[in-house]
Amino acid sequence: MEMDSLPNGNNTAGTPISATATATANPAPPQSSNLPQLTESLKLEHQFLRVPFEHYKKTLRANHRAVEKEMSAVISGVTEAAAADLSPDDAVNHLNSLVCRLQGLKRKLEEGSRAEHLQAQKCRVRLDHLESADAENMSEWNNTRMKRILVDYMLRMSYYDTAVKLAKSSNLQDLVDIDVFQEAKKVIDALQNKDVAPALAWCADNKSRLKKSKSKMEFQLRLQEFIELVRAENNLRAITYARKYLAPWGATHMKELQRVIATLAFKRDTECSTYKVLFEAKQWDYLVDQFKQEFCKLYGMTLEPLLNIYLQAGLSALKTPYCYEDDCTKEDPLSQEAFRTLAMPLPYSKQHHSKLVCYITKELMDTENPPQVLPNGYVYSTKALEEMAKKNNGRIICPRTGLVCSYTELVKAYIS
Amino acid sequence: MELSTIKDAFDRVTKKQKLSCSKTQEAIDQIRQEIESVLDTLQSANNTDHELDYKTVLNELKASFLLIAPLSQMEGTQKELNVALTKYGKLLEKHFNPDISKAYRNIDIDRHTLNQIIANHFYHQGLFEIGDHFMSVVGEPESAAIMKFPFVEMYQILEAMQNQNLEPALNWASTNGDKLAQSGSDIVLKLHSMQFVKVLQNGSREEALHYARMHLSPFATSHMTDIQKLMGCLLWTGKLDRSPYHALLSPSNWDKLAEELKRQFCNLLGQSYNSPLSVTVAAGVQVLPPLLKFMNVMAGKKNEWQSMNQLPVPVELDREFQFHSIFVCPVSKEQATEDNPPMLMSCGHVLCKQSILKMSKNSTKVFKCPYCPFDIDAAQCKQLYF
Repeated sequence: MEMDSLPNGNNTAGTPISATATATANPAPPQSSNLPQLTESLKLEHQFLRVPFEHYKKTLRANHRAVEKEMSAVISGVTEAAAADLSPDDAVNHLNSLVCRLQGLKRKLEEGSRAEHLQAQKCRVRLDHLESADAENMSEWNNTRMKRILVDYMLRMSYYDTAVKLAKSSNLQDLVDIDVFQEAKKVIDALQNKDVAPALAWCADNKSRLKKSKSKMEFQLRLQEFIELVRAENNLRAITYARKYLAPWGATHMKELQRVIATLAFKRDTECSTYKVLFEAKQWDYLVDQFKQEFCKLYGMTLEPLLNIYLQAGLSALKTPYCYEDDCTKEDPLSQEAFRTLAMPLPYSKQHHSKLVCYITKELMDTENPPQVLPNGYVYSTKALEEMAKKNNGRIICPRTGLVCSYTELVKAYIS
Repeated sequence: MELSTIKDAFDRVTKKQKLSCSKTQEAIDQIRQEIESVLDTLQSANNTDHELDYKTVLNELKASFLLIAPLSQMEGTQKELNVALTKYGKLLEKHFNPDISKAYRNIDIDRHTLNQIIANHFYHQGLFEIGDHFMSVVGEPESAAIMKFPFVEMYQILEAMQNQNLEPALNWASTNGDKLAQSGSDIVLKLHSMQFVKVLQNGSREEALHYARMHLSPFATSHMTDIQKLMGCLLWTGKLDRSPYHALLSPSNWDKLAEELKRQFCNLLGQSYNSPLSVTVAAGVQVLPPLLKFMNVMAGKKNEWQSMNQLPVPVELDREFQFHSIFVCPVSKEQATEDNPPMLMSCGHVLCKQSILKMSKNSTKVFKCPYCPFDIDAAQCKQLYF
């Protein structure tokens, strides 16, 4: 409540309400209108634009490929008809069916173009969102960013329902990649049920791009399928399978291939550690992890959740030796055990300029509010000390040592 | 950042996409028309019993397809689309940081700890339903209740205040009066003052006066000026909006009071006012750009980074992230430590102990302050505690 600005005939007596308020609480952080800093932070948003764009590109390619295929089919349909000896009725029927096909294709094209349009829209919404960030709405924008980062974390950890709930409740659907992760969810769910089919289908879908990045995802899936055949003692089928699906990888991955083939000799209950691990259930977890990595790479996402990246950087930035002292302020995240635990293996912050915070008011001590030294060497801000002197008839009591002195005994310290 | 360039590039992509789409439709229509016209010819030939060589007609159709070349027609626009797509992709890479995980240290983050932090964040923000859902999904519904409980009360109070109902807030303040007084907060007075103004606005002067006697008088000794102002309001009963005190009616007072209450409530809970997760992530956003720049320059030192004890680049954090006093010696550029504390020289300038020892040749010589013409005697320097 702002009462101090009111005239009441006793204005010179000071403003106790606001003074004690700042003494107990941190002042609201000043709105940062630091433009270069904002620009720098926007540059971190590559994934935010990249993922919907990759998705859009993928849809474009798939639609185009489907159209091309259908068109060639129709054209070769005519060529075949011309070559074959068809009765007049058959020829008419054949041509009619081709017309039907073309009509169907046109419908499909329209549907596809609608989907493309929606995805293009999403790309544009994100560009607009980045553009909308300015000094005035910073705290709200940052709040949204926090939620985006959390949704990203939950999607990657497979907490889909919570992610959807959070996105819906804050109306963030266009700013998060739930639809993209739905695709991953199907594959992951199947892998967790020891079914490689959807994963293989995904590999086939993205064959050329996976090949470009030298991914061996498909090989690993095939190896696992082979192991399952050996586990079931279906050795003959296993050998046929290996000839068909594993042999092509021989040129590049011979060692792994040989090791897995050797399981034919060792069987599922082997005690030989080299081969025993291949039969373990955690191989499936490994496949899930592997898939997640490939998936993220393909869509241009960071391999780690955004939350982990920002959190780690932030913890390092905030970590000082003082954070671990008992009187660390509650406002410092590192006063909390959970944050301290996470910061343990991380480096300390580094600063090139002195930044002094008044123990009493928690305000910055700078040229406007210079630090003053008590006879015992303890330092507080001028504001806090003036306030105290006013209340106690010029007496100063050091809040940390209990020393009592006079305001006139204080010495200004110059910090450069 | 050149967001407008990027947007233009994207507009180009969608334009090319539309072009490619309509070209494809055109091609489909063209082929269909060709087939349909052949069908018409065949049909009319049937009707007139005119002899027609099907083979020739079909071959003609085939030849016309070759002429139309629908696939190569589509190819042109598709190529243009691909060019636009590639260009946009490259622009993204150029203007943004394509891999922000470059400065990430590959260490396992304890999932349980992190999940606790996230849940606490949700409750701190008042997102109870999502917090509960999250906790049940990660399989820790038991600890959810303990974490949630205090925040539930806080948000109930805040919600009531949104409807200008101070009852729950006053109840909370009276139960926690001692603790609030101990921490030096005057939120109790602020709440009562607000309630007083509310009573005065709705009710009679009598009632307001009664309220003031009951609840404001205990603050007489410590907050006389404030109470004087409030008493002044009594003179303007019914026309407070035209009084010198009209600022007391401003709706923003309610927001300020709510913020202050949240601060005090969190303080009593031993929690921070801002969600610690938000604070840390926001600090991360500030420190990542210089860190990534360093990583790009120091690509060869990747291994060193994994074991560094201190960030390799200095960070400039905003005031809101400054929780502790950091003293950097202006001579040695080192951060002060317990073994190397800041010392006040007789001229008022401050250096670290090591620097003073060095300049005074282990306290054997008088030296000149690097910032002013004063002669300094090391023995007269005093250790500072920030």
